[in-house]
Amino acid sequence: MQASSQVDYPPIIWRLSLLDEILARPLVFVGGKGGVGKTTTASALALIAADRGSRCLLVSTDPAHSLADLFGQPIGNKETAITSGLWALEIDPDRQADTHLAAVKARMQRLVHPRSYSEIDRQLSFARHAPGTMEAAMLERVAEVMAMAPSTYDQIIFDTAPTGHTIRLLSLPEIMAAWTDGLLSHRKKSERLSSTLRHLGGGKVRGDDLSLIDAATDHKDGSRDAEINALLQARRRKLVQAREQLLDRTITSFMLVLNPDRLSLLETMKAHNTLTEFSIPLAGLVVNRVLPENADGSFIKDRRQQEAHYLEDIDRVFGHLPKVRVSLQRGDVHDINALRRIGQIITRREEFP
Amino acid sequence: MDKISTYFGRFKELLEEFYVSPYRGAVARARRDEDDLFMLFVFGELMGVPNPATYYTLELQPLLLERFHDWHRRQGLEHSPLDGFRCC
Repeated sequence: MQASSQVDYPPIIWRLSLLDEILARPLVFVGGKGGVGKTTTASALALIAADRGSRCLLVSTDPAHSLADLFGQPIGNKETAITSGLWALEIDPDRQADTHLAAVKARMQRLVHPRSYSEIDRQLSFARHAPGTMEAAMLERVAEVMAMAPSTYDQIIFDTAPTGHTIRLLSLPEIMAAWTDGLLSHRKKSERLSSTLRHLGGGKVRGDDLSLIDAATDHKDGSRDAEINALLQARRRKLVQAREQLLDRTITSFMLVLNPDRLSLLETMKAHNTLTEFSIPLAGLVVNRVLPENADGSFIKDRRQQEAHYLEDIDRVFGHLPKVRVSLQRGDVHDINALRRIGQIITRREEFP
Repeated sequence: MDKISTYFGRFKELLEEFYVSPYRGAVARARRDEDDLFMLFVFGELMGVPNPATYYTLELQPLLLERFHDWHRRQGLEHSPLDGFRCC
């Protein structure tokens, strides 16, 4: 991998670096508080991966996308080529939800009288705006994208929404899988009772008992039940697969970006606790916007003193994790070359725990 | 002779029915209760029962539509409890 690298980095940084740790995994999630530099970090990492010869997909899950602004080209809800080896995608949960609801609607329309179509529309518009719909749609799409590594892409890097959303997203597969498990267990119980019923002669008797079972009135061969079970099983399979990928340290690495200030540190500590709670391992930290050594003036001097205090705290609290410091840039980072420079800083300013 | 065996067959059937039917009714009812509970999970959100997976259970609703009317009647609701679904 290093041999094929197109950028000439000093060899020492490859030793046990945070970057190797992260870029060795097919799935990388970059999280953190809003405005700390997640998009920049994720994009710089994706460029490094692409420059090293990987086929890399950069995915934004933040509803307020900024990848297009950063790369200065339209991206949107489809995989768009950025540069050699790099593609980008801005997930649109609205469109995902609309597609899903349209499919449900089409199925419902086959089953009801046309005069009920407007009722169906109303019913679905409730669901469209129900809390959780966007999250579920986002999760569905993220799970689909995750399944593209490592076959379609060597590496997929997620630029995520601010911490709270992302952690919720990562914890959803567990909650949803538990829910579908619950539904499936009820289906199983119902099936067991049906089979008992058949042994009791339920099939051949014309008595009134059978009218007690709705299944008998809709589909005699039980194909309806089979369809329900198949849908639930397919859902569960997807959720469990996403969950397994997230928990597998050899597949997923999760990193957090923070700034050396109080709020950012506190949020990162909370995020770390929540990740631990859901058994999602944290691969490392990028401490972004550290004041450069050559910055001068008394104002900066005061800021630097305060910053040193937070940098110390970060080292103490996250002593066990690989960390990398990226200094505050003189100008905005808004094109590929500026991102490459950030990438070089990330690789050069390696610090060992 | 043929007639006698038919009578016997019929008698046996009735006897079987006499012993088995109470159980069959009970089991059928148990299964219906199970299915009713399942319906509540799928349509519960619209009745105010929170469902964390509405988005995912929504795709089950078309499959359960035919049972919907009997179900809400059984739950003691004369008319459809859902604003969106006027099945009666």
